[in-house]
Amino acid sequence: MARIRLSQVNKIYRSRGHAVHAVKDLDLTVEDGEFVAILGPSGCGKTSTLRMIVGLEEISSGDVFFDDQRVNDMDPQARNVAMAFETYALYPNFTIEENLSFPLEVRGVPAAERRKKVHNLAALLRIEDILGQKPAALSGGQQQRVSLGRALIRDPAVFILDEVMSHIDAHLKFQMLFELKRIHQELGKTMIYVTHDQVEALALADRVAVMSNATLQQVGTRNQLYHEPVNVFVADFIGEPPTNFFPVELDSAGDQPLLRAKNTALTFSVAAEQGRRLAASGRRDFVVGLRPQNLHLDMPGGADASVGGVLTAEVAINEYVGERTILTLVADGHRFRAQAHAETALGRGEQVRLRYASADVMVFDAQTEALVA
Amino acid sequence: MARLQIEGLCKGWDFPVIDRLDLTVEEGEFFIVVGPSGIGKTTLLRLIAGLETADAGRIAIGDQDITTLPPYKRPVAMTFESYALYPHLSVFENIASPLRARRLDKAAIRQVVTEVAKLLRIETLLDRRPGEISGGQKQRTALGRTLVAEPQVFLLDEPISHLDAKIRHELRLQFHSLEELRRVATLYVTHDYAEALSLGDRIGVMGHGGLVQIGTARDVFMRPRSLFVAQHLGQPAINAVTAHLTGEGAALHVRAGNSSFGFPVVAAHAAALGRGGYRQVTVGIRPQHVKVLRNGEDAPGHHVIDGHVEIYEALGANGVLVADAGGVNLTALTSLERDFAHRQPVRLALQTDAVFYFHADSGDNLLL
Amino acid sequence: MSEQSARLVRTLLLIFLGLWLILTLFPLYWQFITAFKSAAETNRTIPTFWPEVWHFENLAAIFAEPSNFGALVDSFIIATGNTVASLVLGSLAGYAFARFPRQAGGENLAFWILSNRMFPPVAVLVPMFFLFDAMPWGTDSYLSLIILYLVFNMPLATWLMMVFFRDAPRELEEAAYLDGYTPLRAFVKVTLPLVLPGMISVAMLCWIFAWNEYLFANLFVGTQVRTFTIVIPTFTHGSQSLWNLQMAFSMVAMLPPVALFILLRRYMVRGLSLGVVKG
Repeated sequence: MARIRLSQVNKIYRSRGHAVHAVKDLDLTVEDGEFVAILGPSGCGKTSTLRMIVGLEEISSGDVFFDDQRVNDMDPQARNVAMAFETYALYPNFTIEENLSFPLEVRGVPAAERRKKVHNLAALLRIEDILGQKPAALSGGQQQRVSLGRALIRDPAVFILDEVMSHIDAHLKFQMLFELKRIHQELGKTMIYVTHDQVEALALADRVAVMSNATLQQVGTRNQLYHEPVNVFVADFIGEPPTNFFPVELDSAGDQPLLRAKNTALTFSVAAEQGRRLAASGRRDFVVGLRPQNLHLDMPGGADASVGGVLTAEVAINEYVGERTILTLVADGHRFRAQAHAETALGRGEQVRLRYASADVMVFDAQTEALVA
Repeated sequence: MARLQIEGLCKGWDFPVIDRLDLTVEEGEFFIVVGPSGIGKTTLLRLIAGLETADAGRIAIGDQDITTLPPYKRPVAMTFESYALYPHLSVFENIASPLRARRLDKAAIRQVVTEVAKLLRIETLLDRRPGEISGGQKQRTALGRTLVAEPQVFLLDEPISHLDAKIRHELRLQFHSLEELRRVATLYVTHDYAEALSLGDRIGVMGHGGLVQIGTARDVFMRPRSLFVAQHLGQPAINAVTAHLTGEGAALHVRAGNSSFGFPVVAAHAAALGRGGYRQVTVGIRPQHVKVLRNGEDAPGHHVIDGHVEIYEALGANGVLVADAGGVNLTALTSLERDFAHRQPVRLALQTDAVFYFHADSGDNLLL
Repeated sequence: MSEQSARLVRTLLLIFLGLWLILTLFPLYWQFITAFKSAAETNRTIPTFWPEVWHFENLAAIFAEPSNFGALVDSFIIATGNTVASLVLGSLAGYAFARFPRQAGGENLAFWILSNRMFPPVAVLVPMFFLFDAMPWGTDSYLSLIILYLVFNMPLATWLMMVFFRDAPRELEEAAYLDGYTPLRAFVKVTLPLVLPGMISVAMLCWIFAWNEYLFANLFVGTQVRTFTIVIPTFTHGSQSLWNLQMAFSMVAMLPPVALFILLRRYMVRGLSLGVVKG
């Protein structure tokens, strides 16, 4: 069990004249027993951050604390962290039981104790019935669980997972996500999960740290990131299907503030409070972010009491994906997506009206890309 | 009429991977083969391409029997899962490759390649090497190479599986609008069911040995022929509950779990089930047909049962709740707004007219 | 590890490396200075480490005799001829082993071929002489050594080219087939460029072996064909070796392989690491 704190951590890679600033001034705290995901596109600095926490990279500046003990100069073994990798790295000639007990054997743990720990862990991971088999005979999902087991068997203070889901089929992935969540609930360990897939991160973590370009963009719970993204990047990265963005300018303020997409008739109404904040910022150019789930087909007879607005658009593409339909629409030259009921039988070219609530409209400054309202 | 016809195709190594497969893809049809990894989808494409020889069977394109033709003589073009771009050649040369094979003249090549590059929005990358471009750009280059060949059949092997979620969405839309792909028969392979349902004119679900169901998106999703098909389309996967039927005629009832889980079978289903005299069944309920009721909310036409929360997780656009209802673990879809605590009691409304009944052993859909 | 002990280790390493450098470079240095000494100076009981008088005419004297230069040419012909043959035959065999292992005889046959490289050449010296003597190309000819060196170079070329071909992804050839290229055209367009760096390093290894070979050359050739390796020992006065001339000539003989290496070193490194790291 450990509380991990990163304080103003930097990582600079130097090679032959030029320097790459991979992690900039990172402040992050992972509470004891918390499940935190570090999320971001490739190259954002998440892997470097991970390697500094584990001890595989030197920290250029800043400090890393495990339970208030500075670990900058400690080797990975001394830090008591276990890591599960993208590639399972199982010993092909050993049975699963041998694979799992190997880390304990190396540490001189007596055989009886080893067997007990292995069986307990196997029960937790639901791999008891394959203990006698070799890795080649197992499916990807099973191999993944063994790989997790091998890391967990040492009973580390911190458990780190690096892109462990990359090689798993879509429909198995969901089951694995549940497994991981269950393991975390039962073991209560501090876990750090690194991935580029926001679906995984939001499904698993208590809090998610979103990184881009070596900088931490935002740390928060799923709801915080979803409803109060701090900038365009976070709003764009989080959310499935991807968020819609429209470049707009402030058209009128007062009690019924409007944002207009330039030179078009496409407008977005926001609440008075939002309008006040926008006017107070002194800017004119903004970016509106609206999630596809928050655009509802305006059905005749449908009651909607919340404050909001309506868009008219033409259907460009209708994608039936089983549980729902994703519509790609065009309004005044702007393409965007809306999520609808599975049985939505709208065809190409049909005109529709879409309702949205002002509370769901996110407005960002066009320059700084920070959330304004 | 350049239709692709496959009859009795067989291919196996230690065990049969493809066993007497029949398939016809019409000219201009976008046919998607979906199935789990390792089932044989790529093998099917490779057989059509000529990179593998079939053990038995016949493959024809239009009037031409191509079963014994080597790959370089077949009128097909293929994009590989790994893109297979030539690393020592520029993007331009990669795309131009099929044209150079036919020894077209320089001017004609330049014109065609630039056109296709503009279509795929990679015209600024023509001088770069594959090692210098991103995954999405590599994919478009590979696609360009296929388009340029103007074959009678397009074969696409998991073209967007290895790309970031955002780019996948974009490229999915691009596939929707690429008219060029709609002119000839296209066979597209993926393991992502959403992609399959979204893009396919018809979809073939592949299981052990061959295609277990072929139909439109709504066909395969709402009228699955077997439990296998139902399980491989949809996320989270369909709830499969081992149950037995009690009662007679119109009073047929489903019972499972510790006996407190159960619901009445709707009249239409009861007729079909009664005829067959089935007692042991596997009941399939899609998570979207399990509603988690709010306090005081009602669900007419649904059967309500009580349960308590096991796990609640966000998954993409929805919340996913796993609840224990009378000894049965049910997965339900909710909106992301809601929040649940472990062991919190919940009321679940089952849409009983959307339930599937599968044979307890074979997995066949008993209602079809 | 503390700062102090780290520094101590570094210093010890530097000293060790320095000694090693001296050990490696000393023969070259000695060769160089000996080449410019007078014969007398080379025979001194107490050696000098720098020529007292620089006899630049040693080199001139050697090449005043045209047959000496001819020896370099002969060596060049044999080395190049054998390298081309080894490479062509080795590539064809290597490709077969890489792409059609079952039909080609499998890993076992490939390894047997490589094992031919593992015995000491001197073991077959005499039998080979009699064998070649009975052959139409005889022993004292270009063809003789070119063919003979195949025994040593071709197994190596086959094995290495097999590894390089294995590393060239089969999918790229398949993509070329689907583009419409026949297997031969696909090989030339796609596979060959990818293994070219590897081929160059194999070529260098073969060439250097053939260039430096002395044992067999000494027995097989001498009249019609003379390689520089057998010419060097002829620089004697009576029974006394003229070290300065021998060093001078060998120094000149070192230049072609060094020049080739400098020209092709880019490919050598790439070629040698291609089999190790996955792209």
